[in-house]
Amino acid sequence: MADATLVRDFDPLATGSAARRVRSKALVYALLTLFAAFYLLPIGIVLLNSFRELPDIARTGFFAVPETLTLQPWREALTSFCLAGACEGIRPFYLNSILMAVPATIISTAFGLLNGYILSMWRFRGSEWVFGFVTLGVFLPAQMTLLPWAYVLGNAGLTNTIWGLILIHTVQGLAFTTLFCRNYFVNIPDDLIKAARIDGAGFWRIFRKIVLPLSPPIVIVTVIWQFTGIWNDFLYGVVFSSGDRQPITSALIALTAGATSVRHHNVEAAATILAAIPPLLIYLFGGKYFVRGLTQGAVK
Amino acid sequence: MTLAFDDRSERRLLWRNRLATWTPRLVLLPTLIASVVYVLVFTLWTFWISLSNSTLLPDLSYGGIKHYVALWNHARWHVAYTNLFLFGALYVTGSLVLGTVLAILIDQRIRAEALWRTIYLYPLAISFVVTGTAWRWILEPTTGIQQMLRNLGWESATFDWIIDRDMAIYCVVLAGMWQASGFAMALILAGLRSVDQDLVKAAQIDGASMARIYRKVLLPAIRPIFLAVLVILLQFAIKTFDLVAALTGGGPGLATNVPAIYVYDLMFQRGQIGQGAAAAIMILLALAVVLVPYALYTIWRQRREAAHG
Amino acid sequence: MTKDLPRIAGAAAALLALTTGAAVAEPKTNLLHQWATGSDAAAIAKLGEMFAAAGGTWEQTSIAGHTANTLAKLRADVVAGNAPPAVQLKGPEIAEWNATGMTANLDEVATAGNWESVVAPELLPVMKPAGSWVAVPMNIHRVNWMWSSPKAMEAAGVEAVPATWEEFNAACEKVVAAGLTCVAHGSFDWTDATTFDSIVYGMDIDLYRAAFVEGDAEAIRSQGMIDAFAQFRRVVDWMDPGMPGRPWEEAMAMMTNGEAAFFFMGDWAIGTLNAAGLQEGTDYVCTQAPVDWGGNGYILNADSVVFFAQDDADYAEGSTLLANTIMSPEFQTIFNQAKGSIPARMDVDMSQGFNPCQVKSQQDLAAAIEAETLVRSMAHNMTVPQSQRGAMMEVITEFVNSDMSPEDAANMMADAVEMN
Repeated sequence: MADATLVRDFDPLATGSAARRVRSKALVYALLTLFAAFYLLPIGIVLLNSFRELPDIARTGFFAVPETLTLQPWREALTSFCLAGACEGIRPFYLNSILMAVPATIISTAFGLLNGYILSMWRFRGSEWVFGFVTLGVFLPAQMTLLPWAYVLGNAGLTNTIWGLILIHTVQGLAFTTLFCRNYFVNIPDDLIKAARIDGAGFWRIFRKIVLPLSPPIVIVTVIWQFTGIWNDFLYGVVFSSGDRQPITSALIALTAGATSVRHHNVEAAATILAAIPPLLIYLFGGKYFVRGLTQGAVK
Repeated sequence: MTLAFDDRSERRLLWRNRLATWTPRLVLLPTLIASVVYVLVFTLWTFWISLSNSTLLPDLSYGGIKHYVALWNHARWHVAYTNLFLFGALYVTGSLVLGTVLAILIDQRIRAEALWRTIYLYPLAISFVVTGTAWRWILEPTTGIQQMLRNLGWESATFDWIIDRDMAIYCVVLAGMWQASGFAMALILAGLRSVDQDLVKAAQIDGASMARIYRKVLLPAIRPIFLAVLVILLQFAIKTFDLVAALTGGGPGLATNVPAIYVYDLMFQRGQIGQGAAAAIMILLALAVVLVPYALYTIWRQRREAAHG
Repeated sequence: MTKDLPRIAGAAAALLALTTGAAVAEPKTNLLHQWATGSDAAAIAKLGEMFAAAGGTWEQTSIAGHTANTLAKLRADVVAGNAPPAVQLKGPEIAEWNATGMTANLDEVATAGNWESVVAPELLPVMKPAGSWVAVPMNIHRVNWMWSSPKAMEAAGVEAVPATWEEFNAACEKVVAAGLTCVAHGSFDWTDATTFDSIVYGMDIDLYRAAFVEGDAEAIRSQGMIDAFAQFRRVVDWMDPGMPGRPWEEAMAMMTNGEAAFFFMGDWAIGTLNAAGLQEGTDYVCTQAPVDWGGNGYILNADSVVFFAQDDADYAEGSTLLANTIMSPEFQTIFNQAKGSIPARMDVDMSQGFNPCQVKSQQDLAAAIEAETLVRSMAHNMTVPQSQRGAMMEVITEFVNSDMSPEDAANMMADAVEMN
């Protein structure tokens, strides 16, 4: 398959009379808008309520035109909201999440690239089986792996450390990154590699000179997938971190459970949006490549 | 002299060849070890625990199949296991259909395509721990849509699925589709774009309508993609946990319990690690029901492709 | 061998501490608990301050949400060979973990502090499940409270707060006739079970003891339990249809603003009532949930902290200090003023800074001990093991959210208990 086109080079609706064309275009945009409303509703509601005063919410519910707008909830969420026993807002947990998600994403992506490269271009007897086996890791329910992980981390001396969480997310991520990268590299023509090998290029040289320069789309796919997955996990964060070293999503589960103290819906709304910013940014800027990378990778 | 030189260079070549064969395997080794531990050892350990006497803490003494018997005698497990299949089927087909519709709409050479795509894709970027609260507000009759409609003057408006034990699971499906259909859209859109454009042009010259072209040419051409989407969605469905935890907490009553919640609850809340492990093994079994046919299909397709060159 | 090293090192350090004077061990702790947000978090922060003021190094691991999260964390730590020094655990869980042999022995501190004579007697078997102190109580909650709205009662012409279930039924019919909701409720397994606790207890205290404290399947299958479920059905029918998943604070607001007449909830409600500036007597009235056998009843729930044995002398020392701090009248006062509960120590002066309902709670507790009507709460995990309690609560919440018959419910619950 050649490079995927990102835009159709013909217009599917450009058939029939002018009136019909206008009608079908209008229909398409109407449907797109309708669906967009459905998709934006939850985030819209959260956003709206993050700017409202608490008494206002209490009086009129979550779906109402705000009487006044305020930035106070955002200030509180950042600096003084009580979460996981500390009253310093969500800032401290942000750093924990970044310290966990960034290394785990980089390591699992690096291994995924190498594994994908080997499993597509340096195949050996049984390498397909290895691939299938590694991929099975995609399917294990997290709840099942908690106790085995506790043994592993305990024996490795990594309990309640950020490195323990990085290890878990890296190992779990390997299955996804290997799957994505291998299916992407399979599409690189064999001739390219053969020629390089005849020229005397070795394993690492081919990787550096040929494979890596072709990798940016799939790197973006794995980075998006891994980063959002790790950022949004709360279970491992709850179980394998201690004290004030919890990742942000773990700290935020306080908001979903029936806490015994008074709810501050507006501050909670602001906190949830603040917590979602990094993955959202990655989607916004990487989204284009996500679609292109997937075309060539995961779906083969 | 020349002989010795030849010998040395040959040996060096041999050594290099050996290195060349072994480097890839060595580089692969850490991943392989990690996967053996993670996939094989963890699963076997869980399986053994499901047959052990474990209660409060893991205990490796053999206890027979009592945990499986208890599990299948438990009304709540039946609810959870049934929900897995009901939810799984609706969620997967729903996300697939919605994703296809969205992909086709976006495929119509629309303006600001990236913007639309981002709107449909963003829910996957946000943890359900976060968006579950918003869905709860929307679906709750006293705070959400129903209340809004009534405030607007439609006094008899009723939308209370989330508090109705027979309908609550469909709320979970709805929120799940909201989260995953964008992902299906992205994959399907990518697939539609990868279909040879000449095929479409040929059909257009033959006078086929657009609807017909999608039905007869484009969608069939990307069947492997549908299969891949299907598998990834099923994998999501089987692991469903925080979706339900945040949205309904498994209620009303036990109506929206799913196996992953059951496993977590029994293993950690109730201190019945053995029965929780048995439930986890049943999840893997349900997964095998999906994966084995897929694997067989893949092998069959590869053989056929090999046979046809 | 290597596994023993830390222990040997710990012993050596302890020895060193003894020989060079007590100043060497630096008390440290890390309390694993669920009080993650709001006033709960503030109360625990106060504990941290007191601990630090007494010379300790304070750390906490606060895990919000479902109790399963805390217990998952605890199990993972124990499996990893890294048991946390202090954990918030309740009722039978204390005994279960005590049976693993991993808990610390607090007898020495307990004797020195004379805990035996100041702690409410019903709590003693919980805190020392095998004869030795392994846990300390932080508070006593009363579960069988009924909160009534004077406004709604007046509107419906209900003159006095109903004292028996028969009176309650009669009152509810008046309330419904007046177009109000009789019972404000938000349905979760634990809120449903809280209500049912009060009903079974109020109808037949011996049945409550046999069924919910002993976990006796025959008692659960008995006619008494079927009658209790039948009464529960009437109560459920008086709840409004919006109850599933409604946060209990919202349900309570229905009562305080007069939309609903009665509300069943433990006294952790007081924190929220105080925060809203509501007054007992005018905005709400607290009484015990109806009892058919006259006299004073008390269903007790207590939060407690269990200590796990530590190899590190600093942490072992920290556990002693933390136990003493929690048991101090000063902390018991501060913590319980915030939580709405009463001190687990019976000798704390409650004349200042407590809500009238809390003062009443302490008097009723003493009266219930006197009359031997004090029981521990099943709904709040103070009696049977989690496996049985979970099975009971499943039946209770299913009963509330379906049209299950009382006979079926009693049978299902008995079956479930027999199986677990």
